Formats: sequence, structure tokens, C-alpha cells
Amino acid sequence: MTDLLRLSSVEKRFGGLRAVGGVSFDVPEGGIFGLIGPNGAGKTTVFNLITGVYQADQGTIRLADRELVGLQPAQIAAAGVARTFQNIRLFASMTVLENVLVAGELRRRSHFLGEIARSKIAREDEELVRTRAAELLAAMGLAGQEEAMATSLPYGSQRRLEIARALMLAPKLLLLDEPAAGLNYGEAETLKEQIRSLRDRYELTVVLVEHNMQVVMGVCERIHVLDHGITLAEGTPAEIKSHPKVIAAYLGEDLDEAEAEA
Amino acid sequence: MKRVPAWVLVLVGCAVCVGLDYAYSATVAADRGMKFWLMIAVACAINVLSATALNVVNGMAGQFSIGHAGFVGLGAYLGGAVAAYVAVAMKIPLAALHDNLSFVQSLIIVPCVVVPVAVVCAAVGFVVGLPSLRLRGDYLAIVTLGFSEILRLTVLGTVEDTAKNPITKAIAALGGSLGYRGPKLDGDFVGIPSVAGPFWTVGIAAFAVFLALRLKRSGFGRALRAVREDEIAASAVGVDPARYKVTAFVLAAAGAGIAGALLAIKRDGPGIVSPANMRFDKSFEVITMVILGGSGSVSGAAIGAVLYTAVFYLSEEALNQAARAGVGFLANVDAAALRMALFALTLVIVMLVRPEGLFGERELFEKKRVAR
Amino acid sequence: MSWLLNALAQGSMIALIALGYTMVYGVLRLINFAHSEVLMMSGYVAFLVDDRLLGGYQHGGTRGVLISTAVAVVAAVLLGVGIEAFAYRPLRARARGATARIAPLVTAIGVSMLLQSVAQLAFTATPQKFDPRLAPPVGYVVLIAAVVMAGLYALVHLTWIGKAMRAVSVNAEAARLMGIRPSRVIAVTFAIGSGLAAIGAVLYSTTQASIEPTMGSSIGTLAFVAAVFGGIGSIPGAMLGGVLLGFLGELVKFTSFSGMKDAIVFLLLVLVLLFRPAGLLGSARARRSSRRAWRGRARTFAPSTGGIRRACAGS
Repeated sequence: MTDLLRLSSVEKRFGGLRAVGGVSFDVPEGGIFGLIGPNGAGKTTVFNLITGVYQADQGTIRLADRELVGLQPAQIAAAGVARTFQNIRLFASMTVLENVLVAGELRRRSHFLGEIARSKIAREDEELVRTRAAELLAAMGLAGQEEAMATSLPYGSQRRLEIARALMLAPKLLLLDEPAAGLNYGEAETLKEQIRSLRDRYELTVVLVEHNMQVVMGVCERIHVLDHGITLAEGTPAEIKSHPKVIAAYLGEDLDEAEAEA
Repeated sequence: MKRVPAWVLVLVGCAVCVGLDYAYSATVAADRGMKFWLMIAVACAINVLSATALNVVNGMAGQFSIGHAGFVGLGAYLGGAVAAYVAVAMKIPLAALHDNLSFVQSLIIVPCVVVPVAVVCAAVGFVVGLPSLRLRGDYLAIVTLGFSEILRLTVLGTVEDTAKNPITKAIAALGGSLGYRGPKLDGDFVGIPSVAGPFWTVGIAAFAVFLALRLKRSGFGRALRAVREDEIAASAVGVDPARYKVTAFVLAAAGAGIAGALLAIKRDGPGIVSPANMRFDKSFEVITMVILGGSGSVSGAAIGAVLYTAVFYLSEEALNQAARAGVGFLANVDAAALRMALFALTLVIVMLVRPEGLFGERELFEKKRVAR
Repeated sequence: MSWLLNALAQGSMIALIALGYTMVYGVLRLINFAHSEVLMMSGYVAFLVDDRLLGGYQHGGTRGVLISTAVAVVAAVLLGVGIEAFAYRPLRARARGATARIAPLVTAIGVSMLLQSVAQLAFTATPQKFDPRLAPPVGYVVLIAAVVMAGLYALVHLTWIGKAMRAVSVNAEAARLMGIRPSRVIAVTFAIGSGLAAIGAVLYSTTQASIEPTMGSSIGTLAFVAAVFGGIGSIPGAMLGGVLLGFLGELVKFTSFSGMKDAIVFLLLVLVLLFRPAGLLGSARARRSSRRAWRGRARTFAPSTGGIRRACAGS
């Protein structure tokens, strides 16, 4: 199996603080890969580095054979990397359907002048984009709610809408930032199933940042553990569970912080 | 219901506009009352165009520009100059130039004005839009204000060719605070020809509203709104905020430039382009129109513009008549200041009780969406 | 030598007014466009009290100017706090989503235009002038400004309310949890800024400028540029920016561009915003957030929104 995403010695500093210090890992194509660690370990920063929200100070990030460091976020999205956000970022004043349609913009062939003139290509594109959006909304269980305002949806549906929006890009790599946050036991079980079936159906590679161990251990094939910006361990769920350093890092975590995160 | 084909609508629209134009010419001599209303219609149309343009950048793209008058002024100076030179090249006698030109003459002059103005203003809009990549919110607003003020103060500050170079000479030819009155012919200023009647003003404004509606409903418009809501999320789904924001500035600048040109060359126009066109209160007027109507709503901005303009002219007329009828204290009131005070007060109150404006982001006749 | 003193006097007057912009921006992340109108109104109040009530130079003399300055300061404080209470505060509680970003800015501009037109209605557009014999010597202008600014510095750094102001400007929500009421701190900030503007207005109008409805936009703009130049949100920055602009203004007089002085000020403003948006002395925090904005990759807290939203949660 080849590796789709390869990070090597990626480093990011904010002023004097080293948020990510020389992290390397490879994500095999078609895999479900977990990125875990205590609060402030730099997990979301790694996502932001992959998607270009931050620029890495050092190291390389490769998607298949393409270097991502130095590209703009929109270019990285176009290269096939889609993501969701830890604190859901939907387009607030837009409907559920519109939120998904925006992500179809990338596949559009016509210039905006063509759209204004309603050229044949523009109309075909719109048709195509709408069909795909309807499919994805149905797949994420949001059929029938197309015209509702995105922010009027319940919390769980907003998370699913974010995934539908990400899938609209037809990505190779899907980055999920705490998809299980705020879900109860049953919902988390469903989420595990959903992640697997999405991976199979859309031929995705998934990277997951998650605190919910039930989900991480149940769905990930490999897990990478970060603490204070550096790699603590990597291995299969079983290996990670019994890794002494990982146990120490999690036991040492402040109880207050853990609660604040939840 | 069967849909009317688009070309029928366009033809009917053109016919109505041509009719308006001839009605305008015919009533110039005959009926003062009718002409008053047509003048208001022309002024409304120009403001609708200006507000529609500002709405693209302020409402749809969410980039708050307060330097709109800079583009309007640029278009006015440029359009005025082009119109004057074209009229001279057409060998229209000087005496005729000081009067309204005919509809046939406008068919030549107006396109000659509108096209270069749109192109130049779009280019300047591109440059002014570039800071939107680095700055946001109030910082960006200040840069746009800086742009319009630099234009205005440069025109005001350069009245004679002190530095003896072509640039200051060209700026000095704009006449400083006296205003620009076209090139000189036989020692006399040509003046800016009064040529664009309702056919052009109402026609172009209607077309702009139509384009803006289509823009808003296109994928491009959707992406623009997404950028307004959340740039990070937008770029995460492949929408490059830079491209969309700068395009919005370009479109707004082109629209504002055309509005400015029409302001300079409209029928019964001033015959002169004044730097006061670029004052901040002119930008403020257009902002008021857009915000009253509902920023992001094309029809809202247009209705805001019509309301504002109508109130503006009707209140002036009412005050004049009252003063003539001998209502003493009204004669001493500074009508312009009173009007401005009332508009500013309205704007502040709207912000406090209904910050989304009359329409919010909805269009006229559009269903209300499920509230959050 | 007198040239130097002139520049310093110009600069310190600009700085007094710039402080109002910078302090409000510090706690609210709002460019208070109405600040220039507070300046203009207090100029009128001082003039009318001195000229109409105290009999101008003949009867009032220097004492008259002092009394009218005190009245103007009180009036400015009331006006500034009133604007905050009636126009800005309700907005902080209400505006949400996309409108939250633009509403404060629009309101500020609206209030500014409103006050300007009201002044034109009430006082007409005809410029008014203090008796030139009432002008304090240039050295006094510098001295007064220096004393006032030293007082402000002491207030901000040595007193409880100053500490609260700094706390709110760093994080209104955290300050609220520490028992500070952001709404009260904001009101005090407006009061101090407006009072300083009134002193600046009297100094300005006795020494050079005539009092007219548009004086706010001309002098206020200069002061605003000074605030941005020094680093908006930073109190020493506003002082430095004011003095630098004073020198710049005096220097331009020597060149052949004297007619372009105002255009040059705006050009400077645009350049500073583009290339060093945090200004000369902008706080590390401001520089950080502006650098993020620089790359177009800020989290959504634009300079204008974060403070308002945070403060809104507090008040």
C-alpha cells in the first residue's frame, strides 16, 4: 500500500513557542489514521499546517507526490484535501444546500461572466453541482432540510453538514477535527460506522483528531500520539493502549483541562 | 405560467427607455412639472446604479468600503473629459453644446464614454481592492477612504502647474475647487455636454440591477457570500478569498465609475465636474442607501437608493415652496444640513433596531427563509 | 528654535486628540468616527461660553478661557459618554453574525454625520474665531499638553481604573470574571478621551483653527492618522504619532508640495496601514493579529470585531 500523505520533520513556531516540533508520519492510502494527544499537543496545528492555514517553518508535507508547503489553502483544497473544523465553521447566513454548493465552485468550468450570461456550460455545471450536493446531503442524512438555515440545525446535523460540504470537493484526503465532540455513546457508535462507510464509498483516506477514545480505538487503523508538539508514539490501537509513555501523558493531564475540552 | 422570453423583455425595456427619452426632450419646453419628475427619475437611476455597485462589495463580499465616492468622482472626471473631447471631435457647435444634445448624438457619445470609464475604473478598483487581501474590517475601510480623499485632495491641491511637469499640468487642468469644465475652444470652456437622458440612465441602471441579481444567484455570488461569512472555511473548500474579494472591488468600481460618468453627462446636468463629488458625505449617502435597503439584497439596495433620492429631491422642493409661500423660519434653515441630519439619524436608528436593513439579505418577492 | 517649538506644539495638540481614538480602539476595537465631532462640539461650547457668556477678551480674559475650557471638558465628557450609551452600547448587546462586523462602523459614521449636520443647523457653516489675543504662548501649549498626557499616563498605570482599562483591552471576558464591569470601564474610557479632545479643541481653536462644523473632520482626521501611525490602541504610540505628524506638517511647509499637505497625510496613512498596520509602537498582540490579517489567514477575529463581541458578552 502506498502512502498518500507524508509529513517529515514538520516544525511550526509561534513567537517563542514551539507548537509543532519536528513531527513526521505517513498515512497510507485508504487508511483511517488517528492523531491524538493531550490538550495543546498541537494536533489541530498539524491540521492547519496540512491545509495551509499556517505555513510550516520547516519540513515537508507531501500529498502523493505534491509538496503542500507554500501553497494557499484554496490550492490545497483543490489538490484534494478536505477538512472539518473543531468548532464548526458553517456559512451562517446560508442554507444547508448553499453551504454544500459553495464547495462545488472548484469544479466549475465557466467564468463568472459565463454564469451571469447563463451559458450552456454554466447551466450544465450548476445542474451537476446540485445533483452531487443532493446526493451527499442524502448520504449524510440531511435530505429534506436543504432550505433550512445552516445554523438552525441541531449540533450533530451541523457536524454532518460540514462533512457533506467537505466531501463535495471530491477529496482524496479527509481531515476530521474532533467529529465526535459532544456526541453521546450511541451517536459515537454510529459515527464510527459512518466514517468507515464513507471511506469505502468515496475511496477516501481519513485522518482523525479526536479525544473520544471509544471512537479513536474503534475506527483507526494506526494512531500517532503527540505531546507538546513532539511525537510520543505511533502504532496500532492495541500498541498505543499499552504504551507506557502514552499512559503517563494522559494520566498527567490536568483534570480541569480535560473537562474544559469536553 | 409561461415564461416570457428574455429577448422580449429586453426589447420592451429598450422601447420604454427610448420612449422616456423622447418624453423627456418633448417636455423640456412644454411642461415643467413633468420634467421635474423625469429629472428625479434620472437621479434615482444613477443612484440605483451606484448603490447596486457598492452593494456588490459591501453587501455580498462583506468588505466595507467607504471610499465609493472616489470611484464615482473618477468616473465623473474621466467621463466628462471623454464626452467633451468626443463632442468637440464631432464638431458640435459651441452654442449647441451648452444645451441638451439630441438622442441621436447621445447614441455616439455615451458608448464612447461608458466603455473607457468602466475599463479604467475597473483597473483602479483592482488596485484599491488589493489591500483587502491584507487588511480587513475597519482597517480596510480606512484605506478605501484614504483612496477617495487622496484623489479629492490632489485635485483640490493642484490648481496651477507649479512643478512644470505633464502630471501636475494635467491635474491642474481639472480646475481644482472650481471644477472641470472640459477643454478650451477659442478661449472658451466647452463645458461637459448634457447628453445622457432616461434611455441611458434608466436603461443602464436596470441592466445593472439585472446583472447584480444574476451575480448574486450564481455560483460566484454564493462563493462571495461564503467568503463574507468565513474566509477560512471558504478557502478550505477551495474558494480563494483573494480572487473573489478583488473581483468584487473591480465590479463595484466599474459600476461606480459609470454612475459618476452619467452624473457628469446627464441631461440638464451641471456642465461641470466638481471635486465635491468625491467628498466623504457622498460615500456616506450611498452607504446609507445600501444599508437602509439591506446590504446583500440587490432589490433592497435599489429601493434604498430610490427612497433616498426621492426624499432628497421632494424635501428640497417642499422646502423651496414653503419658503416661497412665506413660511418665515423655513427660509433660514440650512436645508442640506437638515436633510443630512435626518438621514444620519435614520441610519443610526436602523442600525439599532434593524441592523440588517429593510430587506436583510432577501430580495423583493422572495420567501422568508427558516429563521435560526 | 521657534520652528521646533511650533512643530512640538502642533504635535502635542494632535496627540491630545489622537489619544481619544486610540483609547476607545484599545478597549472596543472600534474606530470612533464620532470622536472628531466631540472635538468640534466642545470647540463650539468653549467659544460660546467664552464669547457670549463671559464677554470674550474684554471681560473674561485668560480666566474666561479657563472657565470655558472647564465647561467644554464637562460637555465633551457628557457627549462622549452619551454617544457610547445611546448608540454603541445597545449595538453591542444586539448585533450578531455578519452585521456585528459592520454595524458598529456604520453607526459610528452615522453619529459623526449626525453631529456634524446638527452643528451646521445650530451654529451655521460660518466659521467662528476666538480673539487672537486669547491664544496661549506656544510654550504653554506644549506644557499643558505634556502635563495632561503625564497625568493620563499616571492614571492608566497607577490607578485601579487604569488597570481595569488595560485588563478590558486585553480580554474583556476575563476582566469581567475578575469582577471588572466592562461597560463601566468603556464609559470611563469615552469620558477621558472626550475630555482630552475638549482640551485639544480649545488649544487648537485659540491658537489657529477657526471653529466650524467641519473642523472635526479636518483636525480629527489628522489625529486619527497620528493614532494609526503610532500604533492604534497604544497610548504612547498616539503621543509619538502626534508629535511626528506635527513635525511632518511643519516640514511640508518648506517644500513646493504645501498645497498637497492633506493628500500627503492620507497617503502616509494608507502606506502605514499596508506595510505596518500595527504602527510604530503597536502592541505585540496587535502586531500578531495584524500579521495574521496580513496573510489573509486570521481567525475570524478581525480587529474590529473581537473586542466588541467580547465586550458584549461582558456588559
